[in-house]
This record gives sequence, structure tokens and C-alpha cells, in this order.
Amino acid sequence: MSEKITRRQAVKRLAKLGGAAALTVGAYGGLYGRNTLAAPETRLEIKSDFRIPGAPDQVVVARSNRAGREAELVAKVLEPLGGMEKFITRGDVVAVKPNMSWDRPPELAANTSPEVLAAIVRLCYRAGAKKVHLVDNTINNAQRCYLNTGIEAVAKETGAGLLYPESKHFKDMDLGGRRLGQWSVFMPVIQADKLINAPVAKSHGLTRLTLGMKNWIGAVGGRRGALHQDIHQSIVDLARFFQPTLVLVDATRIMVRNGPSGGRLSDVIGRNTVIAGIDQVAVDAAATALFDVYPDEVGYILLAEQQGLGRIDPGAGKRIEIAV
Amino acid sequence: MKKSRGKRFTGWRTARRISQAGFLVLFVYLAAEAQVPQGFNASLFAVTGAGKDLRLSAPVTWFFDLDPLVGLGTMLSTWALKPTLLISLAVLLAVLLMGRFFCGFVCPFGALHQFVTMVGRKKSLAEKTRLNQPDSSQHLKYYLLILFLAAALLGSDQAGLLDPLSFLYRGLVLGLFPALGHLIAQATAWAAGSAGPLKFLAYLGPYAFDPVLGFGPRAYQGAFLLGGLLVFMLVLDLVRPRFFCRALCPLGALMGLSSRYAALNLTKDAEGCTRCGLCRADCQGACGPHPEDPWLRHECHLCFNCVAACPEGVLQFKFQFMRPGPEPSPKPPRDAPDLARRAVLASLAGGAALVGLGRASLAGVQRPEPALVRPPGSLEESEFLRRCIRCGLCMRVCPTNVLNPTLAEAGWEGLWTPYLNFDLGYCEYTCTLCSSVCPTGAIRLITGKEKIETPLAIGSAFIDRGRCLPWSGQGPCIVCEEVCPTSPKAIYFVPYETRIDRDRQVTLKAPQVNLGRCIGCGICSNKCPVEGRPAVYVNSVGETRSRTNRILLPDAARKKE
Repeated sequence: MSEKITRRQAVKRLAKLGGAAALTVGAYGGLYGRNTLAAPETRLEIKSDFRIPGAPDQVVVARSNRAGREAELVAKVLEPLGGMEKFITRGDVVAVKPNMSWDRPPELAANTSPEVLAAIVRLCYRAGAKKVHLVDNTINNAQRCYLNTGIEAVAKETGAGLLYPESKHFKDMDLGGRRLGQWSVFMPVIQADKLINAPVAKSHGLTRLTLGMKNWIGAVGGRRGALHQDIHQSIVDLARFFQPTLVLVDATRIMVRNGPSGGRLSDVIGRNTVIAGIDQVAVDAAATALFDVYPDEVGYILLAEQQGLGRIDPGAGKRIEIAV
Repeated sequence: MKKSRGKRFTGWRTARRISQAGFLVLFVYLAAEAQVPQGFNASLFAVTGAGKDLRLSAPVTWFFDLDPLVGLGTMLSTWALKPTLLISLAVLLAVLLMGRFFCGFVCPFGALHQFVTMVGRKKSLAEKTRLNQPDSSQHLKYYLLILFLAAALLGSDQAGLLDPLSFLYRGLVLGLFPALGHLIAQATAWAAGSAGPLKFLAYLGPYAFDPVLGFGPRAYQGAFLLGGLLVFMLVLDLVRPRFFCRALCPLGALMGLSSRYAALNLTKDAEGCTRCGLCRADCQGACGPHPEDPWLRHECHLCFNCVAACPEGVLQFKFQFMRPGPEPSPKPPRDAPDLARRAVLASLAGGAALVGLGRASLAGVQRPEPALVRPPGSLEESEFLRRCIRCGLCMRVCPTNVLNPTLAEAGWEGLWTPYLNFDLGYCEYTCTLCSSVCPTGAIRLITGKEKIETPLAIGSAFIDRGRCLPWSGQGPCIVCEEVCPTSPKAIYFVPYETRIDRDRQVTLKAPQVNLGRCIGCGICSNKCPVEGRPAVYVNSVGETRSRTNRILLPDAARKKE
């Protein structure tokens, strides 16, 4: 201990000691009492109501007597409503929500027809949309879904964006429903200027039919399986939260049994029909006829009308049928 | 000094390094391509149309097709020679001519070992010389090879446990890739939340890393062990250079034995040698390049370090189709390892013991293992174990992450072979991708049509009524029926009258499974809202690959509906 040290060494030692002391004090001051648990998410101020005030409220059913006329059907069904230009303005970012949840080829009608989807995307671009995104939180593996449904090809041909759901795309939001409060939302659906709901019409084991409003289950994440414990109210809550600019139901091919996944051509019937409108309830109600089902036999349609979301009967002269 | 080299070509070491780097990059590239492509990559690499079977365009099995150990092992265990295995025999023919060029120029695992050895630890010349001396541990790999081949002959291909390409591929795609993926996801999430230029990094993730590491977060049972073993083998290089290659690699052993009559010789001009000893310092194979040592042909990786190091230029590789007689130099070369007869016999016995003990400890010998659900197209279990080299390729390409390496599910004999872990995924109804990439045919090639129409069942689903929401009186739930992919659905409802809270009489739709239609894909289990231990689970019983692991009495007149 009696070793002598030089002044230089003494200064070095003192500097080290001082540095260590400063770091200790600094760390203590900086970290003391710090809450390391994430603060609960507050409500995000992002709009989820994409309706345009004063948009024409007719329900249009366009039907063709032969298959393969998807582009004409989509164009014609929008004519009485004033065309896509009525809904899309120049520079809009448009989110289109098809059903592309199942790893099934197009002819099995488990997903929105790629031809219908391509027609919608093209009309959006023609109306001046800046970018169109195809968004769905798929049930089957997304990569396989997109390839097998033909939607990857649609995105490539039309220039639409195609998103693969990842955990970073989901945020908890307050849905403000009667049953659903905080729930994980697939954000790309509402991170847009306009939202078009483009479901396929098909059968479903629990709700009988899956149409437009039920398509919103693909717009949320979280424990979606649990929604089936109160499916009709859950759907109505979702439909109240996600208010689209426009609904276009693809009924070119409809799956009449073994829904929603199907799997055999014998489950599918060609109807060559597309239905459009802005009233989610009225559009879904109009689609039920294709299955020989009354609208009030589908729980969520009846419930949605009772809770004031829309009207099963759009009113005199509001239902337009066109042959293509 | 330079003059004395004359016009001799001295670029072989550089050529070897370029070749190693190239094959390592190719190996990683082919591993990166072994997944269902998405987005930009899908438009480039997807080989499918809507409704057609998805196949990968890159030759992802290429390295395994090349591997003579895979070829020979499968040939011995099945007594059949498949066309792809012929490619590996061509490689072996090249070894017969040139020696272990594969170890020096091609093997990506060897390249990694060499790289770690080179940059891992600073060593003095004396230490390097000592570490690169031949020693008896180099014999171990020959005994391991004999052991594996003996086991293969007895119908159990275990060589994949140490085959360098399988070892590297498994550790990489099931261990290090997902591990890196998680770290990068964490880093990008952090970058996304930060301000300034760092934010840009967050957008890099899906484009720069995911196409290689894998789209989406992945997890594999025992990834810690698989990735850890790979890292451990590389760390061993710091203790003894290329330890794996010298002491453990059964493929290297096979090539060492095959190089016995190779025409490519290391010629040593003992007269010009100044005994500087530089040739010993960086010898990768520890094969005695010094004129005073006997050259061990079977240990030489053809790394050309000795040739490049020799200041006098007295070491040269030459093709000599007629071997010269005993050289005047102090020590003649050795052409084959000096294996002890007793040790060879012991290795043969060890191979037999490996198979015997493996089977003795496998519950499946007595009765089928319920958790062992094999991928669709898998051969019957004993035939499967003859072929599977546990490379992990099927688990890598599986789009839902359901395919996982076993730990105990297939017993010791089937360690790290693929099985379906329904916590992590489910078998996609139309998907047959794993069957299209199996390098040895343990999973035979099937089409989506065959899978659906036969149908190929891999197991059966069962409802746990105590946990199922409708059956236990909790309320409605139909998820398992909704996602059931067969048509007609294998899960159907029966009206079930029960009470909620004693007094509320309700009729619920309770799910039941039609075992005649269930294919065991497990999507019901994977999507069941009763997570952790789902209320519907899949066992292997009912698998079409087995004639005994069944439940239903077969109906010869009628196919499965």
C-alpha cells in the first residue's frame, strides 16, 4: 500500500472514480421510479366512417345471363349511382376490402372473384385514385391465399397494393359497440381516404350467409374466434365502426353450402350478379334473395336494422335492377 | 524469393476462397428461396396459377442432391437408387479423381469453419503449426461414417445428424434465421418508434431481411438447441481449426476414403525445401504438407494454403495418372487412414446398437405415438425413417409454420424429423409444398388433387367436451366448423340442450367430428378460441400412410366420402 504513484496516475484514478460515481448517480436519477410498463393505448383519432354525405342511396342489382362479364357488371351496377367518380375523388387513397381469406381457387367461390376485384380497382384508378390497396386479414396463410385466389395476379396487373398482415398492422381501438369495446383493428383498412367493401356472397354455418357486414371480421385481428360467441351483435358492432364509402357484393358465383370455405364445385352456383349501394343493411338484404333466404332470417341483418344501421327495404323506387 | 516460383500458377488459394464464398452465398440464397414467396418475390419466383399446385422455381434441394453421403445413405437404407441421387455419385466420381476438393472448394459448412478459423483468434506461428498437426482425433469421422452406414443398412438413416449440409441447413433455417428474424423485428419496431433517419430502417425490414430470414415471425421447437449446436461447432474451431471437418464430418470421411486412388497429388521437392515450416502453419486439413511429414491424402481439403505459403515453391499439386514409385523424399504419402480393425468392427456394432437402442426406446414400436402427425405424403413410418435426413427443408417451406422438428415425438431414432405442431400452425388444405422439396422422398411428391380427392389423412380431430364452449355449456362457438376445409365439412353440429347457470335453458350447436371425412389438418385445433390446450385436438390415428394406425373399419367398396 505504500507504493508511490505519479501525479499522472493519481489524476487518472481520480477521474475513473469520479466518472464511476457520476454514472451511478446519473443512472440512479434517470431510472429511479421510472415506469417500465407501457401506458395503455388511448383511443386513436383515426376516422373509420367513410360515407360521403349526400351519396345516392339506391340499391342496384346488376345481373347478366352469362358468365365472364364481370367488368361490365361492375361498371353497369355503378351507373345508376353516378359511377365510381361519385365516390372516388382525384388523389384518393382507396382501401378495398375483399374476402380473400381462403386458400381456394376462384371457381370455388370462397373468395371475392379476381375479375370483379380487378374491375373495381381499375374503376378506382380511372376515377383518379392515387393508390388502391387490397386489404384483408386472412384466415388461411396469406401468401398461399393471395397466390391461389388469383389476387396476387390482380394486384400485379392493376397496380393495386397488396398487404401481408403483420403484427405491426394491428392497433387496439375503441370500437364503441354494444358488445365490442377495445379490439385489435387491422389498420390498413382505415388508413385510407375511401373504403370499399367488396365481399363475396356465400353460405356460412353459423350466420347462414356471409355478405357485406360479416366481411368486417376480416378487418380486425385479436381473438377473432371469440366473436362467434355473440356473432350477430359483433357483426353489427363492426359494421357500425367500419362505415364504407360503397359496398359491392360479388355474387357472380355463390357458394350455397359448406360455407364459408366450401371446397367442391358442386357447392357453387353461377349467379352472374353484382350488387352495389351505400346502405350496408339494404345491400346485404338484397343479396339474400340469391340464396332463397329472407333478409330477416339472417340474424345480423335483422339486428342491424333494429339498431338503426340501415334499412332492409330501401324504400319505393330505390331498388334498381339492371340486366347486363 | 519470387523468382524461384517461376511461372507456376499461384492463384489456387484465391480461386478456392472465391469458390467457397460463392457456394456459401448460393447455399444461403437457396435457403432464402425455400419459402412461399410474397409481394415482389411472388411476381418473380412463384410457380403457380390460381388453383394449381404451388411449387418453388429455385432448385432448393440442389446441395442435398449433390451430397454423396445422402445418396449413399439413402441407397443403403432403401436398396434403391433414385435419379437425383445419381448426381451425388457424379460428385463422388470427381472425388475419385481429384480428392476432397468438395471440402475445400464447395462445402458451405467447411467455408464457414475456415472463415471462423481465419478470423476467430490471433495465433502465433508456433501455435498455428501445433494446431494443424495431424492427430488421432481425425480418425473419429471414419468410425462415425461406418457407424452411420451400418445403421443405414439396418434401415435407419441417421447420417443426417452429422451430415454437414443437413447440419448447417437445419441450424440455419430452423435456428439462426428465425432468431435473427425476431431480433430484427424488435429492432425495426424500435426504429419505427424513433424519430429521424432511423425511422427509415423500419421500412427496410420486409425488403432487406424477410426474403432471406423468412416472411413473418417463425418459431421452431428446439430452435435454441439447433441454432446453438451450429454456433457451438463453429466455436470449436477456435480450439482446433475446422474441428468438425477433421474429426466429425462423415461426408468428409466418405470423401477421404474415396480419394484413395485420386490422380491429383501433392508433390514435394525435398531438395529445394529449406525446412522453414510455413506450409504447416495454415494447413486446413492437418494433412502433413511438409516434405518431412507423410502427406495424408485422405485428410487434405485441397485448400492450397501450403502451396501459397511455400516461399521456395517446392510444393505443387499435379495430376499424375501413373503414380511414381516410392519418392526419394524422407516420407512417402499415405493414401488411406490407418483404421484399427477392432475400431471398425466396434463402429459397425455401434451402428447396429444405434438402431437397436433407438427402436427399443420408441413407444411407437408398441403402439403409435398420438403426437406424431407426419406431413401429408409421408411414407409409412419405417420407410420414412429410412429416408429422412432431417435437413429441415420441409419445415422451412411450410407456409403456416406447422412443420416442426421432433424432440421426443418420434423417439430417439426420429430426432428432428418433421411433425405437425398445431400450436404453431395447421396443414393448409390445398398445399403440397413440403412434398415437392423433400430431397430423399421421405415425403413423396403429391399433388393437391391427390391430397384432397384420396383424401390423404394425416390424423384425426377429437373434441374435448370438457373444454369446448358449447359442449361445456359456456355458449355458442362454431370456429372449428367454420374453418374445416373439407367438403362436406368433417365437423358438423348437433343441437345440444343444456343450461347456462342452472336456470337458463339453451339449445347450442355442439360440434362433432365425422372421422370418415376428417383429414387431420388441424386448422380446427389451431384456430380454436380455447387457446393453450385447444378444445379440439389432432392425433395421428387415422393417418392414411399407416395400415394399422386407424380407427374406422375400412369399406372396400366405398372411398372416403
